[in-house]
Amino acid sequence: MDHARYSDLFLTEGREHLVTCAHLLLELEQAPRELEPVHGLFRAMHTLKGMAATMGYSQVTDLSHQMETVLDAVRRGERRVNRPLIDVLLETVDALTAGIERAVAGQDAELDFRDLLARLNKRPRTRKRTSSDATIPETKPSPAGMWVEVVIDPAAPMRGGRAAVLLREAEALGAVSGVTPPASELERESFTGQFGFHLASDAAPAAIATRLRTVGDVLDITCVPRAAGSRTPGPSERDAAKRSTPTVRVDRRRLDALMNQIGELVVTKNRLASLAAGGGGELSAAIDRMARLVSEMQAEVMLARLTPVAEVVDRFPRMVRDLSRVVGKEVSLNVEGRHIEVDRSILEQIGEPLLHLLRNALDHGIESVETRVKAGKPRAGRLSLLAARERNSVAFEVRDDGAGIDRAAILEKARREGSVPDSVTSLTDEQLLEVLARPGFSTAERVTSVSGRGVGVDVVLTRIRALGGSVEIRSEVGHGTSVTLRLPLTVVLLRALLARVGEERYVIPVTHVAETVLLDSRSATTLDGRQALTLRDQVIPTVRLRDLAGCATEPTPARQPCVVFEVGARRTALVVDALLGQEEIVVEPFEPPSGTPAVFSGATILSDGVPSLILDAAAVV
Amino acid sequence: MSHTILVCDDAIFMRTMIGDILTGAGYEVVGEAETGVQAVDQYSRLKPDLVTMDIVMPEMGGIDAVREIRRLDPDAKILMCSAMGQQALVVEAIQAGAKDFVVKPFQPSRVLEAVQRVLG
Repeated sequence: MDHARYSDLFLTEGREHLVTCAHLLLELEQAPRELEPVHGLFRAMHTLKGMAATMGYSQVTDLSHQMETVLDAVRRGERRVNRPLIDVLLETVDALTAGIERAVAGQDAELDFRDLLARLNKRPRTRKRTSSDATIPETKPSPAGMWVEVVIDPAAPMRGGRAAVLLREAEALGAVSGVTPPASELERESFTGQFGFHLASDAAPAAIATRLRTVGDVLDITCVPRAAGSRTPGPSERDAAKRSTPTVRVDRRRLDALMNQIGELVVTKNRLASLAAGGGGELSAAIDRMARLVSEMQAEVMLARLTPVAEVVDRFPRMVRDLSRVVGKEVSLNVEGRHIEVDRSILEQIGEPLLHLLRNALDHGIESVETRVKAGKPRAGRLSLLAARERNSVAFEVRDDGAGIDRAAILEKARREGSVPDSVTSLTDEQLLEVLARPGFSTAERVTSVSGRGVGVDVVLTRIRALGGSVEIRSEVGHGTSVTLRLPLTVVLLRALLARVGEERYVIPVTHVAETVLLDSRSATTLDGRQALTLRDQVIPTVRLRDLAGCATEPTPARQPCVVFEVGARRTALVVDALLGQEEIVVEPFEPPSGTPAVFSGATILSDGVPSLILDAAAVV
Repeated sequence: MSHTILVCDDAIFMRTMIGDILTGAGYEVVGEAETGVQAVDQYSRLKPDLVTMDIVMPEMGGIDAVREIRRLDPDAKILMCSAMGQQALVVEAIQAGAKDFVVKPFQPSRVLEAVQRVLG
């Protein structure tokens, strides 16, 4: 059999089934009497076993088989669900997860699961055969006929199954009775393959024998004329059906390629549109139509690329469970919004930063049980991961009800390091973030195995900023900390405003844009000595793009357009020379040359082929 | 004219493998199903000469699907595919009306033998 061809499929499906198993085990732990998760677990293990057996991975097959057996016992009420059982099953899932990778690499024979196998086997199961189990039927006594002796290949798998097929064949020929050994014995492992029964039929024994010999794995049939045996009904019902929607599986690389192509198409379309502008007539009409079609196509591909964040966050409950044991604390993780869908490009990037934040919270945020009880808090710390859609972005919040960040200690350390002037007496949330985000900054004296050395916030911040997103921290000593990551809905193709300052054009992604307004003599004002703008009932500080970009100052015209940024609860208005409309841009990888102001996070090529810098709203606000 | 076959299994991996074995021997795989519900649906639409049916599937397992299909068509020819160790299910499937079974891991020759037997 050509293994190489099927390895990819095996791995993809195997991984999926194991992730499902881990998830279901956690569900089961919370609701030990539920049967649904057990059924799901059983099916997943059964499938994995079948695939592994087909690939010839005997170690993986054996371990999955053992877990399937345990699950079967749970299913039939012969084994109870408790903590130790969940533990060993989770360990088995882990071992299989690593095992399938090694097996595909040709190392199945080196896998050693003996310890796990022994532990899975530990509770001797009392096999209670109830009448609800499937049995091979025995019929009422009947008159003339023949005695049929069957020899099934003793080496055949599922000899009992073969016996069932044969008896079924026989039943089509006449009444079957007196099965010896009795039906219940035929399904045992100890069944050697030899059994006999009475068949009431007028047909010639030789003819019957020939007919029955065609059943698979049958070595021999002997039919001898003879006479007469009672019926117990058999089978039990199986799972109920649920509804489903038709879907197709697509290799995700195809979606990535499709997305890239659409990106190029959009840029070219824009170029075409600007070239044809003013041309009028049929050319314009055709280009308009094409533009609409491309937009629709783009929308479809974006929808196809949308993936529920569950794909990334579903593994966290397990991780929190394990880690909380390592650090010796009691912590529960509450996840909300796992059904929210975001583009794949975001999903791929958000896992690690969230992991950092969760680990930090576990390690430094949540206090020990002792400390919590003394402070009048519930024993178990509450960790929450909340995903939510905002206007043009998606927000992930990691919140804990732990000790909160000790601003005084941080301020002191920052002062000692000289990164904060002595005049600062207390840190605002923004300042706190900035200080924490300095590479290597950490007040934890011990390096723990969970969080590592001060690596955390700065890595998270860099990664999120690079994606055009923002980070926000809120913390209160004694009550807890909340870190919110905001990201645009996709990082491949962005909607953006085009702004001009002097001769240069700059691109502003709409991710954090609340609105655009005009700054003139009526709306201009000051706030704490800084330039500001009144917008309805708010006063918003202003910043000049001209200044940020390092352009020469010029006399201020009477009226200037502003882009109002909104990052979390904070707002700032960016003053520009002119707003040139909206564009869809493809974000290009960006290596900023030294001297580039920090407010630019990327670059792109505009529709007329001219490169332009992308502004990072979070750096401005 | 070659016989038509409907392949039912919740793993693409298995469907691909079985499909390859069958087409390699000249059979025509006219449909695939991932769940018992789909199997019954496809059967009524395609009326294949034979069905290969995985025993354990989500949303109606193989055994229930066998029963449903036999209700639609008492002459339906169904071949069960089972992994090792689920003999009780296999027996139940046979009693529900499946004609024969093969055990994973498959040997192509045995699968084809069983198909021939079931097709009669």
